[in-house]
Amino acid sequence: MRRWIYLARRLGLAALVLLSVSVITFFISRVVPSNPAAKWVGPHPTKEQIAAASIKLGLDKPLYAQYFMYMGDLSRGDFGVSVRSHQPIIKDLKTYLPATLELVVVGTIMAVVIGIPLGVFSGAKKNSLLDHLSRLLAIAGVSMPTFWMGLLLQLFFFGKLGILPLGSRVDNAISIYHPVQQITGFYLIDTLVTGNLPAFRNSLVHIILPAFTLGTYAIGLTIRMTRSTMIEVLEEGYITAARAAGIPERTVLFRLALKNAIIPTLTVVALSFVYSVTGAILVEVIFSWPGLGRYVTEAILGVDFPVIMAVTLVVTVLYVFVNLFMDLLQAFLDPRVSLG
Amino acid sequence: MHLGASPAAGQQGINTSVAKGRKMRYQEFLKILGVVVVLGLLVSACATPAPPSPPEEAPTPTPPEEAPTPPPPEENVVIYAMVTSFPDIDPSISFSDDSVVVSNAYETLVWYNPPGSEEVLSPGLATSWESNEDATEWTFYLREGVKFHDGTDFNAEAVKYSIDRTMEMEMGASYIWWTVEEVEVVDEYTVRFTLSYAAPLDLIASSGYGAWMMSPTCTEAHDSDWLNEGHDCGSGPYMIESRERGQRLIMTRFDDYWGGWQEGQFHKVVFDIVEEPTVRQQMIEAGEADVTYLLARENYEGLDAREDVTVYINPSFQNLLGLLNHKKAPLDDKLVRQAISYAFPYDDLITDVMMGVAVQAHGPVPTEMWGSSEDLFQYSYDLDKARELLGQAGYPDGGFDLLMTHATGDLDEAQVGELWKAELAKLGINLEVRAMSWEPQWDLAISDPMQAQDIFVMYWWPDYVSPYSFLFNMFHCEDEILFNDGYTCDEEFDELIDRADGLSGSDRAEAERLFIEAEQMLIDNADAVFFYDVMNEHVLRSDIKGYADNPAYPHVVFFHKLSR
Repeated sequence: MRRWIYLARRLGLAALVLLSVSVITFFISRVVPSNPAAKWVGPHPTKEQIAAASIKLGLDKPLYAQYFMYMGDLSRGDFGVSVRSHQPIIKDLKTYLPATLELVVVGTIMAVVIGIPLGVFSGAKKNSLLDHLSRLLAIAGVSMPTFWMGLLLQLFFFGKLGILPLGSRVDNAISIYHPVQQITGFYLIDTLVTGNLPAFRNSLVHIILPAFTLGTYAIGLTIRMTRSTMIEVLEEGYITAARAAGIPERTVLFRLALKNAIIPTLTVVALSFVYSVTGAILVEVIFSWPGLGRYVTEAILGVDFPVIMAVTLVVTVLYVFVNLFMDLLQAFLDPRVSLG
Repeated sequence: MHLGASPAAGQQGINTSVAKGRKMRYQEFLKILGVVVVLGLLVSACATPAPPSPPEEAPTPTPPEEAPTPPPPEENVVIYAMVTSFPDIDPSISFSDDSVVVSNAYETLVWYNPPGSEEVLSPGLATSWESNEDATEWTFYLREGVKFHDGTDFNAEAVKYSIDRTMEMEMGASYIWWTVEEVEVVDEYTVRFTLSYAAPLDLIASSGYGAWMMSPTCTEAHDSDWLNEGHDCGSGPYMIESRERGQRLIMTRFDDYWGGWQEGQFHKVVFDIVEEPTVRQQMIEAGEADVTYLLARENYEGLDAREDVTVYINPSFQNLLGLLNHKKAPLDDKLVRQAISYAFPYDDLITDVMMGVAVQAHGPVPTEMWGSSEDLFQYSYDLDKARELLGQAGYPDGGFDLLMTHATGDLDEAQVGELWKAELAKLGINLEVRAMSWEPQWDLAISDPMQAQDIFVMYWWPDYVSPYSFLFNMFHCEDEILFNDGYTCDEEFDELIDRADGLSGSDRAEAERLFIEAEQMLIDNADAVFFYDVMNEHVLRSDIKGYADNPAYPHVVFFHKLSR
């Protein structure tokens, strides 16, 4: 029962957070000097065009009325229209959000698959060569600037070896001869579902470099986090007891120790997942990846407030739900954590 | 043994109870997770209601499941690596980089020729045109046998429809048609325009923005959103085949194009959006792109030295100016404006910063455009002269501050500011160079001139090719400030350019003379600092034939004229 109350409270709080974010972003967007009507018309607007556009966009109404109109539309799933492209934002989000999520999911999977085992071994074999190497990798991953990493990878894997593509989600030839039919927006899934194998192979090859570049930070973080918690856990009495009982080292490390050590790591991975959704900007620009980061960058530079608001709200929803999910997961994994 | 058995048994007991507890927690967790997922789905369902009839993005055919067909070997594909996305490809709205796509899908009645051509204009969908003596009535004779991509015939009705649609939408460059009072369909292939005041309608009809002809049946049946999903209603050589938002747009040749097709011309055109210049450069070097622009200037020499790549540097119709605040001291004084014009290191900027990809401006209109002249006076870098003028103005040791604003992220504008700041400091003038987003920068300029920046650095380019676009927008008196952000107002000047504009349809030579006279007035008064005319740079693979840049259509590549 306490858990249900806890859940209800968290959901209520989430709604409150969303409402506050909508109020703050809406009013900031109206206070910052900008002229959405002029933007709407084009680069050289005339007075008459601006006046007509102001009425069309409802900018002649009082601010509170505009806010209620916006929220009314939002409740019907209408994020409004971009003042730059004049297109419904929801259409853009349907393309850009899955593109970014796909990138971030693959990057996170890389972080887990590479980072956790390396962290475990590194923690278990403290001060060994493997430990030093993986620590070096972790530091490099955390500290190397994303754009630099991306450019280096491109130069090496495209420029020197010629085995991986420079960027974008699929090749031109795939777009022309095997176009991807959008269902979920995740190319790796859509191409498989529609049996479009050439496009699947192509999108898989295309996602490697950007996902790895995006994942390097999370990989570094995961290695360090897993390593330090492993060192701590391995000094616990129950591990000594297990080792004394002759339980195989692999079981000790991955079943007994990792289970306790993984909790902080998972939190870090989850938060870096959400952070990557907006942090993917540089990776998306370098790899010409049509994602949310690139979309919002264009919007920020072009002072396209409806788009900025929409992306802010979407990211807030992601943050709130991933946080909630992680709290529930922690309580499940660690009985010492109580909800409520 | 005993020691071993006891903990094992105990552990078993603990294990069982832990397992039970874990099972319970697991079930509860699943329940809660289920609720969260259901709520999440509900939220997302509310947020994205299924539209009545889901118009899916460009209904792309599902490729065959087995043995996908390899590309036909004879397909000739050209790839243009674009710097930005295409905000709006509706021909009535497009007023940006989207014109690179629109110009290949739609056509205008008249085309503006590149500088150096014998004639200023050449026929497009109109084969000839004429006006009455005072250029208030224009008749266009249309090309016969032209079909739109949807099969509709191009005729006088389509011309009337296209211009009416653009004007009614009141977007983009629709204002270029404001002079049009009536469009009259004389017969199937003749259309007459009656204007409310004299205007160069032939030039207007050649504009790269807002002057496109479109199929009435197609445009009536669909809306702007449909066009932007990756369709078109034009008559141009290429049809829009598909659009992947933020990534690429693909065009395919229109077999019934009136201009016909020849061996070596391209079947498909791909516009890839690649913002990062180093990536565009790698693409062009590797042959993954055939055309691109805006690479790092310092790399052009090296690129041009390659056999497989050619760099084209051509004049553009875009320039960079610093509008000077005439309402506020000390720039309300002509002598001070002249002094700071003499304090700018034009040659250093062009050689060291722009690496030769710019030329010093001859006043407010780009030199290669009609209505400009190389004989117009140019300020040169001369600090002694500047000092002398400042002395005459009562500022022998400078001793004042100036605020210059420029667009955030524009490194060229920032360099202009930094170079100038160093030179002005030698005169005792403190120049603050402030980078601002365009919107706040413009907002500062149009609110209160007394609080506004002293120098507003901005680019200008014309909608249709006429000096009037530059002179009217930035220097004509304005009751409500828009782009005259130096707040100049001189009735004699206004009268001169208005007269020139009226004559530019009937007596272009006289119009040109008057425009140049007006430009000389601005230069004498130092109403702005005329930094440089931008040059267009394009990089192409060397095996592409037939390329010629046309600054009237910035960065547009007319792919029908190219071959490989």
